[in-house]
Amino acid sequence: MPKASTVVIYGTNLSGYRIAYALSKLGYKTIMLNRGAYVDEVRNQVLTQLPFDLCWACAYAPQRLFVGLGAMQILYNSELLELTGTAGNFKAKVKKRDPFVNNYICAECEKCIDACPVEVEKNGKKQKAVYVVPKMFWENIFLIDEENCTKCGKCETACPTGALKMNPPVEEIEIEAGAIILAPEFDEPGEAELAPFGWGRIPNVVKSSDIARAALATNFTEDSFRRPSDGKLPQSVAIIVTPHFNEKGIEYENYNASAQAVYRANKIKEMHPGIDVFLFCRDYKCYGKGHCRMYERAKDNGVHIIRTEKLALSVADGEKNRISFSTCSTKELTDKKTVEMTILITGQRPPTAMKRLSKICGIPAESHGFCDIVPFTCAKTEVNGVFAVGEFTSPKGNPETIWEGYGPLREILSWLGEKNVAKPQPPVLRDVSHEEAKTGVFICSCFGAFSDKMDLESLVNRVKMFPHVSHAEIINGCCTPSSIQETAAKIKNSGVNRVVLAVCTPTQKLMKFRKTVMIAGLNPLLSEFLRLREDVIQVHTDPARMEDKAAAMIYAAASKLKTARALPTLMDNIGSSVLVIGGGPAGLEAARYLGEAGYDVHVAEKTDHVGGMADILSKDLEGHEIKKYMAQLLEDIEKNEHITIHTDTTVTDVSGYAGNFHVRFETKDGETVEVDPAIVIIATGALEAKTDQYGYGKDERVMTQLEFEQKLAEGKITGGHVAMIQCVGSRNPKKPYCSRICCSDALKNALTLRKQGIDVTICYRDMNTYGFKDDYFQAALKDGVSFLRFDENHYPKLEASDDALKIKINDISDGKDKEVVSDYLVLATGMDPNRENNEVFSNLFNLRIDDDGFFDVESCACPYEDASKRIMKPFELSSNGVFVVGTAHSPRSFMESVMMARQAAGKAMVILSSGKMAPPNAMYVSEVDTSKCTGCGLCVDVCPYNAREIDPVRKVAVVHPFLCDSCGACVVACPSSAAFLRDQREDQLIRTIDGLLAV
Amino acid sequence: MADQKTEKIIVAFLCNWCTFTAADLAGTSRLKYAPNIRIVKVMCSSRVDPVFILKPLLDGADGVLIGGCAPGDCHYSKGTFYARRKIALAKTLAGSMGLDPRRIRLSWIPASEGPRFARVVNEFTKQIEALGDNPAKREVYI
Repeated sequence: MPKASTVVIYGTNLSGYRIAYALSKLGYKTIMLNRGAYVDEVRNQVLTQLPFDLCWACAYAPQRLFVGLGAMQILYNSELLELTGTAGNFKAKVKKRDPFVNNYICAECEKCIDACPVEVEKNGKKQKAVYVVPKMFWENIFLIDEENCTKCGKCETACPTGALKMNPPVEEIEIEAGAIILAPEFDEPGEAELAPFGWGRIPNVVKSSDIARAALATNFTEDSFRRPSDGKLPQSVAIIVTPHFNEKGIEYENYNASAQAVYRANKIKEMHPGIDVFLFCRDYKCYGKGHCRMYERAKDNGVHIIRTEKLALSVADGEKNRISFSTCSTKELTDKKTVEMTILITGQRPPTAMKRLSKICGIPAESHGFCDIVPFTCAKTEVNGVFAVGEFTSPKGNPETIWEGYGPLREILSWLGEKNVAKPQPPVLRDVSHEEAKTGVFICSCFGAFSDKMDLESLVNRVKMFPHVSHAEIINGCCTPSSIQETAAKIKNSGVNRVVLAVCTPTQKLMKFRKTVMIAGLNPLLSEFLRLREDVIQVHTDPARMEDKAAAMIYAAASKLKTARALPTLMDNIGSSVLVIGGGPAGLEAARYLGEAGYDVHVAEKTDHVGGMADILSKDLEGHEIKKYMAQLLEDIEKNEHITIHTDTTVTDVSGYAGNFHVRFETKDGETVEVDPAIVIIATGALEAKTDQYGYGKDERVMTQLEFEQKLAEGKITGGHVAMIQCVGSRNPKKPYCSRICCSDALKNALTLRKQGIDVTICYRDMNTYGFKDDYFQAALKDGVSFLRFDENHYPKLEASDDALKIKINDISDGKDKEVVSDYLVLATGMDPNRENNEVFSNLFNLRIDDDGFFDVESCACPYEDASKRIMKPFELSSNGVFVVGTAHSPRSFMESVMMARQAAGKAMVILSSGKMAPPNAMYVSEVDTSKCTGCGLCVDVCPYNAREIDPVRKVAVVHPFLCDSCGACVVACPSSAAFLRDQREDQLIRTIDGLLAV
Repeated sequence: MADQKTEKIIVAFLCNWCTFTAADLAGTSRLKYAPNIRIVKVMCSSRVDPVFILKPLLDGADGVLIGGCAPGDCHYSKGTFYARRKIALAKTLAGSMGLDPRRIRLSWIPASEGPRFARVVNEFTKQIEALGDNPAKREVYI
């Protein structure tokens, strides 16, 4: 039986979206089951746990595009009922109910709202039974309030496009699918789970996610954190990281919790320095990029960070919150602070969808109630063809969630049949270069809605008189399938070769407008889209002045188009091979992934062997067999004929750009190898940090955690007492980052030692055990590992003599001075970036290095470690064809490095599979008039994307359209007017300005 | 023609990513603001050549508003800073040409702040109205 090609994605977490996006690009259809009635009714992590109050609505953007192209289908109000068959040939029985309003046909004229006779009060605001949910940046969602709707049918009659259906039926359908992806959204703790913190019970206790949500549309302004009780700005705020104090097993701390707390505190403090902010946590778990710096900033901002083991909330003075907490010297709740508002930073609950999905799909849960996945894979469940991703498999941060969207691609593809989505052929465009410019103005009436607010007839008659306009008429719209065809026909029939569409916002409808123009046979560079609705109709009231403004806009656009020139979309052939720099676990994993997918991979390794640091490790904290995995990996690499390993090599020269790099490297014997990779993956790793503290290097009883682990594996540690000191030389202003792995390594070794009956003392500042790793901290406590906690300003002191190592420490958990006598002292020195190496590659590939010395690449840091807007670009191109993985990017554990490598390989696969690629901005790029260019290079200096360089032979600037994002900085910088933007040349801008002033 | 009108005209150069989108949001949110503003979309505020600022002022516009992303938030990372320098230059030039530099305003309005866009437009319109007609409207330049 041939395999099915469609993939069913259950749920809408970010991983699911990414998989849908990648599969659509690769030519496979996906069907997404959304349990909610609209795009984000069931919220995923990204919109609930934002540590940065950024709007992430664009994370959904691909959905819109691919639904439009037919590569993706979204079923709303849906639920998976039954799954039969096996991998490659699943049959999924699904229940669904279409939304009331079909977004793809809806013109957003709001006639339905006007027609609705029902008006009720909701949250203090009047609302009709048909209403718009919070306007998301790119889409307005019309919903029917079923409770209050009288089913009079007036809205359905009023809808001019037939988008509104009052009674969509519940349907049951069967889908044949090759693979199933489980991507349910994350579960936020509710009132019961947050009972110890009084959420829902005590006034003025709010969740951070609610603030983030409220802040979405406005950024974080004063309004988003007013007191619920009286709407006033609180003068004192407590921020509590709840997973630190909640009962075990109720909620789990994920990546962003601690960072989110500090972020929130900083934001409040920086906006209102007068507000007192108290931050309560047990540990500051700050292992993400830049998180420690945020902590330092919080201290500078005067945030009171209180570390405590226990706390309780109560009401004070009616509306205030009293937080009683234990001080370090006692477990009793002896201290208290009274604040006007409390913000809870909540963790993640085990998924409620687990039980049902477990029954339907036959997948087991792991011990905490999350979905169990096969180790070393990022998404495989025990059932072939069923994958689980994102928040569903463990408490996670957004970076991991995003990576999992690309990581399992190859495994998913192995269960699918032939591609079942063909790229649509673009319409044939007419050559108008020999024709005289004839501009047609098409004014949208939004199916009559605009005509009610403005005299469009009078506007049309006025526009017809303009010198550059040869045709003007009113159209119904160009945003629904039928109106697009209608308008395209009107443009064609009018015989014009330039088009002004006076319509509504291109933020949502740009593609539709472009499509309209292209169906009419015209190049989009010959068109202008004006926001008649957003810039005139909805914001002004005086009819005469509205018409003046609209006329001026049209005059300017028509005048601009007079000199517009059509130019084709550029296409670039891209190579099919990949270069991996660095032969450590991350690099090799990426190589295997792509090699097995059939792409040629070159691995350039500096030393004489591959394998990197991994040969020292045998198991990780969770007990995964790293040695076994590495042996298999090396064997697979050896076997694969697509993978070539070059040891003893140095990369000497790099040229080219994404899709077409040219890299030269030299071997030890002076031989030169040249490769032309389309994609480069940098996996150059990091170094174990060394220290000169605590007599390290002089006293052989003092060693680093890695050295100790080796000794332990060799069986050289047989007795005595082992003391460990964490955070040696790190998390201080000189080295403000956490190395992420040291706490896990300390616990792993301590647990091994305890099994052998050896005493262990761990001196620590914060126990950075994230996710499920906290279990091992609890296990170590139970196993009798003694933990002493010191303050960041008072590190333990060592007194070494020949017979013992005496460690003097002030234990802040009871305030007492203590002395540990031990035979070994193990120092957690953490990781150092390989600065020298990183510098070299940063210069060769033009990559940014962060403040800590690691590579700073947005696509890997994505999304919020480096909050950047570049995600609007195709995701896999945001790094311009270079991916940094593993510890070269930031401190990572073994498993995390492997996963990072897989996501980069998955992204690379999406790019490579196309073979050809249009620049991200299609035809809207900057260009050079070579007859004017003097080759001065000013444009090269100002270009933020390195998209320009001077041709060494012709001595003129050239543009790499692949890198250009058409900002126009080069155009302004150019002293000889040689640089220009294709859609906005200098003369066109001048014409626009003149046009605006002509009416 | 323009010089007969008492109504003030403001030409606004808005960056595609932030302020132009903020204007979009103001529109979809139906915020009302003064209709004197006429928008030119540019991809980045750094695309605004000082010439584009001075030309409308010499041709009869009463004010020029430039809207871009907030520093650090720029889609092109450095565009905002380029723009700031260019506008400072334009203001100096305006002064030496006898134009009132107060007729030029640079505002950083993030995409999600529709209300702020409306407020800035209203404020600036008021300021321009207080300054009165641009005297350059009636003068002839070669």
